[in-house]
Amino acid sequence: MGTAELIWNGVAAFLVLCIYSFLYKDNPFYKFAEHLVVGVSAGYFAMILYYNAFLPKLIHPLLAGQWWYIIPGILGLLMWARFSRKYQWLSRPTLGFVIGSGAGVAIPLYLQNYVIRQVHATMLPVGFTSWPLITNLLIIIMVFCSLTYFYFSKQHKGAFGAAATFGIWTLMIGFGAGFGMTVMGRVALLAERVVFLRDYFAELLSALF
Amino acid sequence: MSFYERMMNLDRRWVYLVIGVVVVVTAIWSFAVPMYVTPEARSVYDFVDGLVPGEVLMIGVDYAPEVMAELHPMTYAITRQCFAKDAKLLLCCLHQNGPGMVEQVIAQVAEEYDKVNGIDYVYLGYKPYPAITILAMGQNFRIPFPEDYYGTPLDSLPMMRNMTNFDNVKAIINISGGSGTEYWINYANGRYNAKLAIGVTGVMTADYYPFLQSGQIFGLIGGMKGAAEYEYLAEKAGYISREKDQLWASKSMPIQTTTHIVIILFIVIGNVGYFMSKRKK
Amino acid sequence: MIIFPCSKAPRYRPFLRVVFLLICILLIDPSWSLAQEDLTESWFNPNRVNMLVFLVFFFGVIIYFIRRAKKGKSLFIRRIAGLDAIEEAVGRATEMGRPVLFVPGIEDVNQIQTVAAMIILGNVAKMVAGYDIPLFVPICRPFVVPVAEERVKEGYASAGRPDAYNRDNVRYISDEQFAYAAGVQGIMLRDKPMANLLFGSFFAESLMLAETGFLTGAIQVAGTANIHQLPFFVVACDYTIIGEELFATSAYLSKEPKLLGSLKGSDLAKAVIMGILALGAILVSFGVIEFKNWFFIQ
Repeated sequence: MGTAELIWNGVAAFLVLCIYSFLYKDNPFYKFAEHLVVGVSAGYFAMILYYNAFLPKLIHPLLAGQWWYIIPGILGLLMWARFSRKYQWLSRPTLGFVIGSGAGVAIPLYLQNYVIRQVHATMLPVGFTSWPLITNLLIIIMVFCSLTYFYFSKQHKGAFGAAATFGIWTLMIGFGAGFGMTVMGRVALLAERVVFLRDYFAELLSALF
Repeated sequence: MSFYERMMNLDRRWVYLVIGVVVVVTAIWSFAVPMYVTPEARSVYDFVDGLVPGEVLMIGVDYAPEVMAELHPMTYAITRQCFAKDAKLLLCCLHQNGPGMVEQVIAQVAEEYDKVNGIDYVYLGYKPYPAITILAMGQNFRIPFPEDYYGTPLDSLPMMRNMTNFDNVKAIINISGGSGTEYWINYANGRYNAKLAIGVTGVMTADYYPFLQSGQIFGLIGGMKGAAEYEYLAEKAGYISREKDQLWASKSMPIQTTTHIVIILFIVIGNVGYFMSKRKK
Repeated sequence: MIIFPCSKAPRYRPFLRVVFLLICILLIDPSWSLAQEDLTESWFNPNRVNMLVFLVFFFGVIIYFIRRAKKGKSLFIRRIAGLDAIEEAVGRATEMGRPVLFVPGIEDVNQIQTVAAMIILGNVAKMVAGYDIPLFVPICRPFVVPVAEERVKEGYASAGRPDAYNRDNVRYISDEQFAYAAGVQGIMLRDKPMANLLFGSFFAESLMLAETGFLTGAIQVAGTANIHQLPFFVVACDYTIIGEELFATSAYLSKEPKLLGSLKGSDLAKAVIMGILALGAILVSFGVIEFKNWFFIQ
């Protein structure tokens, strides 16, 4: 590791330790690191948006004579009217276009991918003669019972209530899996940072001594 | 306060301290962890391994530095494997904080394999609004990306001459730390029937198994464990090397193992405390 | 949002809207695309008839139930168990003489979860007004503040206690996610509310808030449709309203026709899907795959 890399990685290591100091209690070092990351990411995002979207998608086409790009440009500008109580209504055409086109594209696709394809994939052969058939039966029963839990037009009583109870147990198993995966993800982030700190301090010590 | 109540009400800073000590000790005194490869990670690996020279793989890299620990190893491993197979790569980034990181990966790996920008790989760059960008790419890559990340018009790049849209790529692998995966599934696979595999963070993995089961995605690399599985397969085949320090995720597996054991112990302690103090009442 | 100046008969407007929407969907179908040089593709993609049937069915039932609700017909929705938990939490806070804290999530007012949270807030304000205990509402987005103030004021007024409304209790904290979480945690630790009600859209700060509330000994009721945060609420809160129950709660409380109609429509759709699943599984088990194949989307 060169001197410049050592210095910049040192800054990174210092900021990591500042963030982790929050585990004991809130302190100025943590606040400094938090505000730094918020400010840097906001500034970085603004510049990325300017150079990757605003310039190539609006300014350059306009300067190249494609005058029709002024229409979405004006629609975009009208969105700023939302900050004024008196002229808020000017943003409605833009909002209408965005929401309308977004809904028009998204609704059929969400229905296709989250409902129809899942329904198709859940129509599995069931039986008791082999383990895959039993597993399929379990999947279908669990899907059924989970949907029953979210059925609001009938009281959860009797057999329906029992199915809903099994449904909530199914959901809890799913939440448990999600929780475990989340813990794994967070530990992974911690592990990587600790490995980074270990490697950095090893490099620093070998550079100093 | 009884012993069991003390177990339940343990100050969380003791938990942080114990986990911190376990992590640091394991980081210093590491050990080898046996690797079991899941079928969903293997199917991504096998697909990339089946690419013939000249075929194009698209990688959609949609994550920011905060989830780099879990997703960067996957990106590196897949990129190295592709270049080792002489397959071509088309990359894009749909997360605003990601373009620099993608550029770092592709520039570094291309240098290792002597790959040339515009001939062996093209990095399209970043555009906002993933849904619109993916829909537009499905028509023609030039609609959202008239130029690549470096400002070169796509039509002047030799690799892009016969490439119009998703029909010209063998498959898409989306590596994402947020809602980007949803857009790729809905629009790239849902609208254009593009062959799709995903690499996601641990938090998101459980959500995408239904799509694997329904066949909407052909592979799933889940979190750092999935990345470690991929690295294990790639190392066995010689695409990446431990000596060159190319195994990122695998380095953290011992820490994952010991930390998970400690967390399970704390969960058991807490639950024993809960049930015993309830019984006492 | 779609205007039909051509139709003066209001009862045909929903159907015309459905037809218009379907035409828009067909127009942006990839089988007909201006970007392609060869325009021999047809306007109608026969491989996606199943999608069309589903769309017409879903839109149809929702519009039908919304119209029924608007006509004032009674639409039964079971009482969500979370409402009892909210009442219990507010009752306990009253007994202890401590405030109630309502956290409406961190998203803006255009998000459906925040809208649902505002409806529940109005109901909670009405409950709290009757018991004469403070209600704190820390807000993450500036645009949510006037909406929350209005809902709380209305709640107090409908309980006959407009004088008890304190505008300072509905306060903007910060736009920044963790700064907001730190602010709310500060309120929990200083003011020690007995009931914490967390409704709306939450992200990584969910566990921080729920854990701090748990440490203070408050009764916590949470509700969110963000699946990733539900496990954290389930472990740290006394009761959790899961996913769609949040919208059902807001529909149940507000009796707003569009919310009620949408809920009933989606319930009917769920029942149909359950029937299709059961039938499909039985047929596939006997080797009849034509029914299942009809749902395959090319």
